[in-house]
Amino acid sequence: MVGFLQQIVEGLGAGAIYASLALALVLIYRFTGIVNFAQGEMAMFATYIAWQFTAAGVPFWLALVLTLALSFVGGMLIERVVIRPVEGAPELTVVIVTVGLFIFVNAAAGWIWTFLIKDFPNPFPAGAFEAGGLHVGYSTLGILAVVGLVMGLLYLLFQHTRIGLGMRAVAANPESARLVGIRVGWTLALGWGLAATVGAVSGILVAPLLFLEPNMMGGVLIYAFAAATLGGFDSPVGAVAGGLIVGVAETLAGAYVGFVGSDLKVGVPLVIILGVLLLRPQGLFGRAVVERA
Amino acid sequence: MSAFLEVTDLRAGYGDARVLHGVGLAVPQGEICAILGPNGAGKTTLLRALSGMVRVRGGIRLDGTDLAGRPPDALARLGVAHVPEGRGTFVPLSVEENLRLGAFIRRSRAEINADLERIYTYFPVLRKRLKQAAGSLSGGEQQMLAIGRALMLRPRLLLLDEPSLGLAPLVTQELFRIVRAINEEERTTVVVVEQNAHIALGIAQQAHVLETGRIVLSGTAEQIRADEQVAQSYLGYRV
Repeated sequence: MVGFLQQIVEGLGAGAIYASLALALVLIYRFTGIVNFAQGEMAMFATYIAWQFTAAGVPFWLALVLTLALSFVGGMLIERVVIRPVEGAPELTVVIVTVGLFIFVNAAAGWIWTFLIKDFPNPFPAGAFEAGGLHVGYSTLGILAVVGLVMGLLYLLFQHTRIGLGMRAVAANPESARLVGIRVGWTLALGWGLAATVGAVSGILVAPLLFLEPNMMGGVLIYAFAAATLGGFDSPVGAVAGGLIVGVAETLAGAYVGFVGSDLKVGVPLVIILGVLLLRPQGLFGRAVVERA
Repeated sequence: MSAFLEVTDLRAGYGDARVLHGVGLAVPQGEICAILGPNGAGKTTLLRALSGMVRVRGGIRLDGTDLAGRPPDALARLGVAHVPEGRGTFVPLSVEENLRLGAFIRRSRAEINADLERIYTYFPVLRKRLKQAAGSLSGGEQQMLAIGRALMLRPRLLLLDEPSLGLAPLVTQELFRIVRAINEEERTTVVVVEQNAHIALGIAQQAHVLETGRIVLSGTAEQIRADEQVAQSYLGYRV
């Protein structure tokens, strides 16, 4: 029993990381209807920036704040420069642009920092908190706390601020948003900036566990896709719940389903994506919007 | 003295398709102007031109300020509120959030709260639905919400596109009665596009008939109502 609970705790730790990247995907999807394939690479690039700061002797938490601020600006710039020109273009065009961005950011990181793996400092102390035979690593606790904090801040932003209300208005009906005086273009850029920031958090959290290298986020992105699909691509709450479920499912499958083991674990998100699309395409928390005529 | 809203030789369209071919209007402050005409005449395009949603050539002046070529969010800041055809409510957001969004560009909380109360006196049903998603309202309630949201801007110019669309006759009458009341109490200038010529002429001071992108007839509401051709085409009876 303790062993089982232990697996669940491990799964939640991994799931929190998927959740934060899924949250970034969902933010952009809600605003623009775009599935941003480059989200993971943007997070990876931000993680390198954080690494560069710490390598230069900047204390970790200050490096984190600086990186998040830069990610925000970078996300806005990407929207203005790369996404704006294809706004309103057919879906496939936009998808190809984000795939192109994926390749570009990946190559740029390799060019600047080489493809050799780098050790990324773990901000949380080693060791674990013990209760009833259960080991909860401080690192796992830290990750859950950070993702919980990010969620809480986003909730406050969207539900209790004027800017957040404006952002939800743009997501719901861009044309009407313009008519009430909201600058929609800037709001979309703001959405990309926020998403880049949230994604950067996931990169920085995962780097100490995986080693930092340009392809670090590839696997995480797949889990994040599974999380967003499971939770519903239009639901931030769903993205987080989906991330945690995917993390736990992956860990349990790896530990208890004999033939899966650690090699086939990466198949779990694909099974989840397929299952959700077949059974409940809008996801667990997604909703088909209802409007009376 | 020039009129409050002055439109001169207005041309607009979508891509290569020209819809308006030189429309001219002059609406004095505080008046209601009705735009009548058949489907496809360019009525909706005229309103979209006035709120910056289509590209225009020609002149649009509101109280002396040139509006032509400005984007919709800039026009909203200048006091132009547009209730689009199909209402354009923020469907997943609550009724209260929709109304508060109407006042997005305004800062004073106290004034906004006072205006909310004013909207509830015009449309008491909205107060009962405050926390409900806008999409769950009936058609008439959504139209009231859309007009309420536009009023939250404290508009100098209110543009209404087919407010009667899809509403039961009694609901439509009530809605136009309220629009008239708003116009009288707030001195808001209104341009209303309407298929239901009879009811629109009932509240307007002046009216224009638009056909294939040109104004073919203008006059006071009484003159237009008395016009035999209009009577046949849009009112459904002979004078």
